[in-house]
Amino acid sequence: MALETLLLRFRGPVSFLIIVLVWQIVASLQLVPEKYFPGIPAIASSFWTMLLSGELLTGDGLTLMRALIGLAGSVVIGVSLAILSDVSPVFRAGFQPIAALVQPIPPAALVPMAVFMLGLGAKLYAFIIILVTVWPPYLNGVAALAATGDVPMKTGRMLGLSDRDILFRIKLPAAMPEIFSGIRYAATISLIAVVVSEMLAGHDGLGFMLIRKAFATKIPDVYALMFVCALNGALINWLVNRARWQMTGWHIRMTERTP
Amino acid sequence: MKSLRSRFDVNGLVLPVILLLIWQVLAWRANTPLFPGPLQVAQSIAKLYPAILGELGHTLLRAAVSFVVAAVIFIPLGILLGRLRLLGALLEPAIDMLATLPPPAVVPIVMLFAGTGDGAKIVIIAYAAAVPLLMNTYEASRTIHPAANQVARVLNLTRLEAMWHIDLPASLPMIATGIRLAVSSALLVSVTSEMLLATNGIGVLIQRQQENFQIAGGLAAITFISLAGLIINSLVFEFEKRWLFWHYQGAGASGRGQTS
Amino acid sequence: MDRLLDARELAKAYGSGAKALRILDGISFSVSKGEFVSIVGPSGCGKTTLLMALAGLMKPDSGSILFQGTPLNGPSPGISVVFQDYSRSLFPWKTNLDNILFGMIRNPSMSRADKRRRGLELMDAVGLKGFDAHYPWQLSGGMQQRVAIARGLAAESELLLLDEPLAAVDAQTRADMQDLLLELAARFNQTCILVTHDVDEAVYMADRVVVLTRRPTRVDHEIPVDLGTRRDQITTREDPRFLEIRHDVMAAIRRFRAEVPLAEKA
Repeated sequence: MALETLLLRFRGPVSFLIIVLVWQIVASLQLVPEKYFPGIPAIASSFWTMLLSGELLTGDGLTLMRALIGLAGSVVIGVSLAILSDVSPVFRAGFQPIAALVQPIPPAALVPMAVFMLGLGAKLYAFIIILVTVWPPYLNGVAALAATGDVPMKTGRMLGLSDRDILFRIKLPAAMPEIFSGIRYAATISLIAVVVSEMLAGHDGLGFMLIRKAFATKIPDVYALMFVCALNGALINWLVNRARWQMTGWHIRMTERTP
Repeated sequence: MKSLRSRFDVNGLVLPVILLLIWQVLAWRANTPLFPGPLQVAQSIAKLYPAILGELGHTLLRAAVSFVVAAVIFIPLGILLGRLRLLGALLEPAIDMLATLPPPAVVPIVMLFAGTGDGAKIVIIAYAAAVPLLMNTYEASRTIHPAANQVARVLNLTRLEAMWHIDLPASLPMIATGIRLAVSSALLVSVTSEMLLATNGIGVLIQRQQENFQIAGGLAAITFISLAGLIINSLVFEFEKRWLFWHYQGAGASGRGQTS
Repeated sequence: MDRLLDARELAKAYGSGAKALRILDGISFSVSKGEFVSIVGPSGCGKTTLLMALAGLMKPDSGSILFQGTPLNGPSPGISVVFQDYSRSLFPWKTNLDNILFGMIRNPSMSRADKRRRGLELMDAVGLKGFDAHYPWQLSGGMQQRVAIARGLAAESELLLLDEPLAAVDAQTRADMQDLLLELAARFNQTCILVTHDVDEAVYMADRVVVLTRRPTRVDHEIPVDLGTRRDQITTREDPRFLEIRHDVMAAIRRFRAEVPLAEKA
């Protein structure tokens, strides 16, 4: 029992260790040619070399910056569109079919077309990321704003609030937790969109590095880069969670009380 | 009720029509094949639709096979991890970490193992579909209400009976959410993997159109992807509503969800 | 006595033509300053519709409401409501004190510090001293309703509408809350209208009971509750006069229920 609680307390590192161990065992057994499945030391030393040479930080910095700027843009645009949809039924009726049509388009399919119109620079990344990640905050926002209960709205009206005040002081705070679960999802796909764009049309960034190293058959480098991709995901999740606590901490604590 | 509905339809057309008009005007003013308007896209659709449908068939078939592979492996795995508390809790951070690894980042490695044929693509797509399936089934089976377990004990059900009659139905709504996410993710990654590992499929068609500067043709293909995605997503949602009507009946009172 | 509110021939129907569902059918009554009036009626008699009209949240088809001598069009700063559904009417992202301060949002003459002081006083008055930094969802149902009552009082409105405020709390808490409400009403000389389906509560709390008929609803009759200003959970409820009034109201409501066809009762 004591061992179990100990394991659970440090389950993050333990989980990581399990992966490393299993990986190393598989690599040592030589089930797969070592060229394709290097051991942990080889991957770690690749990681270290790329880190020291600075190429890792530069490339990953670009990727993260693109993802974060794109995500911020998506949140602003998505929430604004959700508010607009809430205020104007005509806009909502017109925008919903557009959202339903654009949402299933994969970022990869957009890249080749967008290259012609937007070139290969920042505009391309902004366009792709926003077009892919704007939907979760928008859709969750529309649904949550529409779901604000009757009682809170009546309470607001009895206090003499204007429609505008009811929107910004009652409906929007009430919708915030739902909007944030959309943002969390958008954060994950923003990284996917950046890496795909970099793979297909980039000349720098993590996605570009992955493709280049793969073609040069620098396999340990590729694995190290994949590890960095996962780290990026964890980092962006952490950032979004920080913001979520800041803005909707009340909701997190409220739901934790009643599991 | 009927008059209300038809009025809404008219309203719904205002914005799309305005946007299409703006697009068309911009295209006329740009006057270059690199910036086609909706009319040119429509012409391309009329011309290319047999080819597009054929390639889309390849893409959808691959997505479907991959999804089934992922579902067969990862739904039971998720339920199992949810029941084996210690193992589940220990592996949870690892699953979270895998979930943050974007599927396209796996492409170069899978390429090495499986070449660039159908096998490689199916592995990548299945990986993309596996993440939401595993996370949702794990979460669902971990958080089954204690009362459900007590009912099983009171009724003297065996472990297997309890899993079949209680655990599975109780986890279904959440698993269904996982399935919905997995299907759309399979579709997205299916196209993406074709563009990186080109042989056939709609992703390849889009790339070929681009290489020939046929932007209108590419947009025509994208239109079909978007329609296919829309149809598949709403089909999955319809099935979900039909099979899990008891869940929606109960939750329906809260009035959540988009009006369509 | 000073007339505070005058409802004249209020009527409201949903739908139109032969299918119209007539809810209110000419309701008239008035409330004086400082009075505590209960409104009771058989289930489904349109109590909620009436309350929404009195709050200014719903416009009646015909008839008028005079509040302080002027017709009521829409919510007025002079009228506050304590809703039955406290868990929804309190904002979960605000602390208890902030919820109460939100009740003073349309009071520009008061400084921020004064509002805060008054908010803390009110928390004390409803017996929640020390819970100002907590959130509503950290409190029990009865305590949440105390916060909602404090917010209703915070607006310093001439009229406080109580929409079955105690229907969702347990029986023991309910008795305490009844006494708390009476005490607060006396202390702040607050005019109150209580809408409830609980006959005992209606009689126990009020200076006067307005009994409604079944749908389409009119005022059946009014009974003054001449039990004095001091009420007690044990002695008042045993008072022969209390039982007499209770009998009268109960009998009226039973009669209306008996008139409803069986199919509609369920």
